[in-house]
Amino acid sequence: MKVTFPHLGSMHIFCKAIAETAGIPYIVPPETSRKTLTLGVLHSNESICLPFKIILGNFIEALQMGADTIVMVGSGPPCRLGLYDLVQRVILEEMGLHYRWLTIPPRLTWQAIWKNHEETKELRKELSAKNILLFPYGLWMGWKKMIACETLEQLAMKVRPMESEKGETQRRLKKALSWVDEAKTPRAVEEAIRKGESLLQDMKQDHSRIPFKVAIVGELYTVMDPHINRGVEQKLGELGVEVTRTSWFSTHILRTLRKNKADQASERVRFFEASKAYLGYDVGAECNVSIGEAIWRSKEGYDGVVHLMPFACMPETTASGILNKVGKDWDIPILTLILDEQEIEGRIQTLLEAFVEMLEWKRRAA
Amino acid sequence: MGALQVLIMANYLGIDVGSITTKLVMLSESGQVLAKTYLRNSGRPIEAIQQGMEDILAQLGKTVPIDGVATTGSARHLAAYLVGADLIKNEITAHAIAVIDFLPEAKTIIEIGGQDSKVIVLRNGVVVDFAMNTVCAAGTGSFLDQQAARLGISIEAFGDLALKANHPVRIAGRCTVFAETDMIHKQQIGHSVEDIVAGLCDSLVKNYLNNVCRGKEVLSPIVFQGGVAANRGIHKALEKELEASFIIPKHFDVMGAIGAAKLVKRARPSETKFRGFDLLRKSCSTRGFECGECENQCEVIELLVDHQVVACWGDLCERYRYAQKG
Repeated sequence: MKVTFPHLGSMHIFCKAIAETAGIPYIVPPETSRKTLTLGVLHSNESICLPFKIILGNFIEALQMGADTIVMVGSGPPCRLGLYDLVQRVILEEMGLHYRWLTIPPRLTWQAIWKNHEETKELRKELSAKNILLFPYGLWMGWKKMIACETLEQLAMKVRPMESEKGETQRRLKKALSWVDEAKTPRAVEEAIRKGESLLQDMKQDHSRIPFKVAIVGELYTVMDPHINRGVEQKLGELGVEVTRTSWFSTHILRTLRKNKADQASERVRFFEASKAYLGYDVGAECNVSIGEAIWRSKEGYDGVVHLMPFACMPETTASGILNKVGKDWDIPILTLILDEQEIEGRIQTLLEAFVEMLEWKRRAA
Repeated sequence: MGALQVLIMANYLGIDVGSITTKLVMLSESGQVLAKTYLRNSGRPIEAIQQGMEDILAQLGKTVPIDGVATTGSARHLAAYLVGADLIKNEITAHAIAVIDFLPEAKTIIEIGGQDSKVIVLRNGVVVDFAMNTVCAAGTGSFLDQQAARLGISIEAFGDLALKANHPVRIAGRCTVFAETDMIHKQQIGHSVEDIVAGLCDSLVKNYLNNVCRGKEVLSPIVFQGGVAANRGIHKALEKELEASFIIPKHFDVMGAIGAAKLVKRARPSETKFRGFDLLRKSCSTRGFECGECENQCEVIELLVDHQVVACWGDLCERYRYAQKG
């Protein structure tokens, strides 16, 4: 057995940690590249969204490298994403690729547990007693590494607008994340966080700058993966913006586990409540949260909101229309960026530069 | 006196390299347009910039000292590497700056160019909102260009032809590819060219308003600029749809370049990086290669001036750019 998983944000780091710790063979898909996208585009329906195509590309590359078991997060309707795992399975089968599929349930229900039981019935036969015994420890290591990655990424978002040399934060973050990836014991993970934090903090910084505060909201895969959003987070940071976002793997997992007491998860409940002023019901995926977050960010004194969505994404198309009104009602600049397979880095850069300049004018006028 | 002389003589060059056309403007210290040029790239922006510089020189009749150069437009980085720019600015800000000086009370800028269409919302001389087409170039000039070519009429005559229409046909405006299907259908059932052309203008306008202006507060005074502002058919259709009349600046086609020149004038570089007008006699070219270091297979571009590599880009990992910096 060789498991694989999407190369999404820092997901490959903690999924690898689970498999590695439990002694289960795994294959990390190659970093998302143009080849990944080309494969994803070639084998999927033209009108489906960019995250679908990129994740499909990851799977194809991993299966071609010899993986035989795919672990993928499932999700619920009404977003097309709700059918992600099902459609991807059909496509891969039609391509003649052989594999087994394991869905991580989006919500813990009896039905999901039953499905998981069915899917793992065969797999469990291949696992040794040692694998099964070590699995809870593996999950714990995975969780630790996920938190480690998020801690470092959040610190990078804070220091990036202060960097004296453009691009330095990104280089250092990459190195710090590789330390987390290489750590083999819980103590080594702690050590990697500590070393990573000082690597980022010790960078040459210009503390005279007053960064703008901008929240990134939108479709979660697009928000979380720099390959899908073409590095919006980094680009904004390098333009002097301290970026915040609430879409993290930990937020979504805690939400799934109904651990709403955790700060980030309860924040999302708050956002959802705020969206009720504009939406009567749950549109699905992140739509309501995107709207609610924009409202709260305005109340909290943020300078602006950047809304990310894949082209043709249904819930976020709804959100973008409403966000126009939210921006006016709450006097907060909102920029919607639509992402698709075209190479539009230049265009994104233009829009972000103009957006930050608009914020500068607003600050000067105040 | 010497210093004053220099101040009076100060000249600023603004270069706006868009996807379809290249615009150059020479601005005096007082903000007066001394020379301007608007020409098609024909897919060769470097040659267009060189040609533009030649046009500017011809209009001035002599080489003048340049105190600052700014570039804008989607090829602003290429242009900056080529000519040696003191300032690189995005085209949204450049357009806004040009209008704020031209008409401080303006509340909306509608700019439709070759591949880009924008709306910029101004309040009290400050940009408060904007939008630009991102993944789709439906409501833009290049589509009009294609259709004009297909109908065998010049783009210059296109707008006036639309004004002669009696009953503009209804053409689906969701997407230009869809629009074309609809248009051919109308042509095959016998509608006149005038009516089809006018219908096309309506459809492009609806597309622009739905895609770009959706949810934006379009208030008068409205300034209409960009290459398409010369198209009277579009102009009329837009005014009708918005129930407003527009102000078209005298230099509507080169406003981005004017904005860039104004910005560099404000920045007042102590010493310009401009390579000089000699550039137009030098051999300038680009050379591309595919990097095989990783799966990204980046198409790396090198810019050569006088057979020497002066800049390099396109590498996602920036390894070649670093090597270039030394």
